[in-house]
Amino acid sequence: MTGLEQIVAGLEAAQVSIVASVPDTWIGRLMTGVRRSARLRAVDVAREEEAVAVACGANLAGGRGAVLIQNAGLLNCGGVLAGLVELYRLPCFFIVSLRGDHRDPVYYHAPKGRVTEETLRAWRLPYARADRHGDLAAQVKQGVEFCVESRGPFVLLISGEDLA
Amino acid sequence: MTARKPLLDALVSMLTARDVLVSCLGANARYLPHMTVPCPVFALCDSMSAAIPLALGMALQRPDRHVVALEGDGSLLMSPNVLATVAAAAPPNLTMLLWVNGRYESSGGQALPAAAVDWVELGRASGIRHVASVGDVATLREALPRARAAGAPALIVVEIAFDPNEPIPPYSERPDEIRARFRL
Repeated sequence: MTGLEQIVAGLEAAQVSIVASVPDTWIGRLMTGVRRSARLRAVDVAREEEAVAVACGANLAGGRGAVLIQNAGLLNCGGVLAGLVELYRLPCFFIVSLRGDHRDPVYYHAPKGRVTEETLRAWRLPYARADRHGDLAAQVKQGVEFCVESRGPFVLLISGEDLA
Repeated sequence: MTARKPLLDALVSMLTARDVLVSCLGANARYLPHMTVPCPVFALCDSMSAAIPLALGMALQRPDRHVVALEGDGSLLMSPNVLATVAAAAPPNLTMLLWVNGRYESSGGQALPAAAVDWVELGRASGIRHVASVGDVATLREALPRARAAGAPALIVVEIAFDPNEPIPPYSERPDEIRARFRL
């Protein structure tokens, strides 16, 4: 299986029902796999904060929501993370493309790459970098279950290489 | 223009146990714990602009329930993009009520940016086909059943009077209490 297929399989295995997304190049590729799944409902949103609220709404209604966005969009989400996810203790699983680290060939992403993990730590958001040499499906499933059990967020950072 | 409370009373009187009510922060969220609402209520005390996308997630997850989202004009002006998101997702079981008084009421009644936003046209331009405008209890009582029956997401623009002396109760429920009580 490709990394993309493993991630989609992980979302399915974790019984995710709704995947809300704003695409970038990498997340857009991942969403093509999400859209092929008969078990995942893709929801295209206009801003990343909406994706967070849509996923939380799905969770409140008995499903499991996930948010697929770029790190630029994650940086937009401080308010809704504090005022919705943390305040009401809602599960919210994120897959975030980590643009701008040493593996990213596009120079203009670098400023985002420099601050993403420091921001996650400052916001006290549990997170991990995906390990493409391990079982990506299991990492996704574990992240979703962490959210459900902790009643809070978890961020899995991915690179374009992880989709191969 | 009609005051808020008679319109909120009329709305609540039209809800059923099969509905779900989501409220943005502010006056509506502060009134609701003091009212007898026949359906689950999720009321926000923070997070402007989250009510409609939160309701959208619920509506998509539970197509067997009708979800009613209450949003304020200040919140929607912050993220009008959500109307296009709703139009694209097109859940037939979502009705949005936009309460328009031109004020950030929950923070002291400051005026919104002084632009004459046409909320009905904004809704239509964003792809919401069923849009209505109401200004009193009688028209709200006509508009809500039509919105429910629209077969598509609906937007009802509710024009209300701003009263700086309105005796809005304080927040009386904690977020953990709201979360714990909310069951679908």
